[in-house]
Amino acid sequence: MKEFEINLEQLSPDVTLIHIAGWLDAHTFEYMEQTINNLFDEGKIRLAVELSDVEYISSAGAGVFIGTLSASHERGGDIVLMNPTEPVQEVFDMLGLSQVFKFAGSPEEALSQLAAKK
Amino acid sequence: MSDSHVTDRLEVDAETQNLAVVREFLHGAIKRSMLPTSDANKVVLAVDEAVANTIQHGYEGQERGKVVVVIDADDKAFTVRVRDTGVSYDSGAGSEEKAELDLQQHIASGNKRGLGLFIMRKVMDEVRYTSREGEINELTLVKYIKATG
Repeated sequence: MKEFEINLEQLSPDVTLIHIAGWLDAHTFEYMEQTINNLFDEGKIRLAVELSDVEYISSAGAGVFIGTLSASHERGGDIVLMNPTEPVQEVFDMLGLSQVFKFAGSPEEALSQLAAKK
Repeated sequence: MSDSHVTDRLEVDAETQNLAVVREFLHGAIKRSMLPTSDANKVVLAVDEAVANTIQHGYEGQERGKVVVVIDADDKAFTVRVRDTGVSYDSGAGSEEKAELDLQQHIASGNKRGLGLFIMRKVMDEVRYTSREGEINELTLVKYIKATG
């Protein structure tokens, strides 16, 4: 397995799916942060993040999502998280993030949640 | 020494790429210890936060050194000591004050600092930081093992 991998897909003209896999920790979070900053620079401010292949997340990884939430809102966008694994869910619960983020179980649901924000 | 006693030691360069090595080392030691499986991921997470803090702040502005992780576990507690020889950094870990996380403030400001310390305190039963300038800084994390049955 690769340590960390990010793949991007355009779910709709204005919604980008970020599929991340592996460990999102203090070593890999900057790559994730840079990828999201690049998307914002391109005007892509509605993001769905697929988490089903994230095996581990630490506070550095969770911090990326906290930063992205406020940055996307500032730009009139939003972020929806999809299918967190058990270890990821555990960290989100610990930090109280489960009550803060929107979650979706499928790309269709994510599109619907992100469309509602417009 | 009883069968339940587990000691181990790992020394790595203070580079974030070694966090995965530290986590693997911890999982191995936890398997040999009496720490319940349900606590394994949480303890690995807390130690990962401690080592990441040390790597990111302990050697700021100076040549990167080593980080040493020492495990000492018995049937009462799983204890991890994270040592470095970098600068003493004020992580707040030594404070007796219970960590409270103002998540709304973090979100509003996009501020991510303090999350690691919050996790350490939330997960572990004891978090202590000692520092001797120019010598060794040591963060001690203890998880009590409760008797079962």
